[in-house]
Amino acid sequence: MAIICPSCCHENIDGADTCENCQHSLTGLKRPGHSQSPIGNAMIRDRIASLDPRRPIAVPSDTSVAKVLQMMQEKGVGSMLIVDDGKLIGIFSERDAVMRLGPDFGSYGNRPISEFMTSSPDTLTMENKVIFAVHKMALGGYRHIPIVSGADLVGLVSIRDILRYTSDKLTAMDTAAE
Amino acid sequence: MTIQLNLQSDKVEVAKAENTVVTTTTVSIKEVFLLMKTHQVGSVLICEDNKLVGIFTERDAVEAMVEDVDLDLPISEVMVTSPMTIDEGAPLAEAIRLMAAGRCRRLPIVSAGQQLTGIVKVSGILQYFVEHFPQAVFNLPPEPNIVISEREGA
Repeated sequence: MAIICPSCCHENIDGADTCENCQHSLTGLKRPGHSQSPIGNAMIRDRIASLDPRRPIAVPSDTSVAKVLQMMQEKGVGSMLIVDDGKLIGIFSERDAVMRLGPDFGSYGNRPISEFMTSSPDTLTMENKVIFAVHKMALGGYRHIPIVSGADLVGLVSIRDILRYTSDKLTAMDTAAE
Repeated sequence: MTIQLNLQSDKVEVAKAENTVVTTTTVSIKEVFLLMKTHQVGSVLICEDNKLVGIFTERDAVEAMVEDVDLDLPISEVMVTSPMTIDEGAPLAEAIRLMAAGRCRRLPIVSAGQQLTGIVKVSGILQYFVEHFPQAVFNLPPEPNIVISEREGA
């Protein structure tokens, strides 16, 4: 059975100590019963693409704060991506609205969103494993990760996608156990 | 012990948030905004006699901003009344299912008689995952896709 590298997804022969492709250590992975958790294992195996990331809603950096807030409410999304010339430059979330605008939001309505966004957010690619998204969200404390391909923005994974993924896995396990 | 068993046997309290910000129905929207900012939380629970009557979240805050509501109004005007809750001692798996199905990210935990005991947040659940398969999570390199061009050593 091949060992799939959690870092670069390269398929290594059984028993390899380090990944052929990226030299990432595989010693923890080949130990019998290295992870007792089927959900944890699934997260190492499945790629971000399996979460079916939705198309993000993006606006240019000179869009006004009022306009961005209005779009967030209309579309019912928790965050907006800020993109200039097809390149991701920032993200603005509900959390940013509460923490950075606060009760004085009225006076910021005409200011560009670039003043309040989080610049250069952490990104992942479709080929990365789900566990990376969990890792980044848990450590960084955020709920959205933009998915890029090269410099192009291709999707957005939210914490809800992770929740849905886990819930689906739990249901599948329950069904299998019956 | 598998995570599945853990999720069924562990109670929702294991993922309970450390801080729960609670206020009453009469405080102004402005004060609630300030509470969220100072305590760095995404939601404020609204109680009367320790009985949960409503919740005000970041999403509601964005809505209030868009609609440009008068910030001096009491929070009871804009809060979400009778929010979805989870019973004290319910399995964590139920919290995950409720959140995935109910499109919410926070569930106030209530005991019999709607007495508020805490809140479980989606971030707490994520933290629980990280703690329960640490080998899977903490053995990851800081960034994916790092490829070393040459083997180490001679």
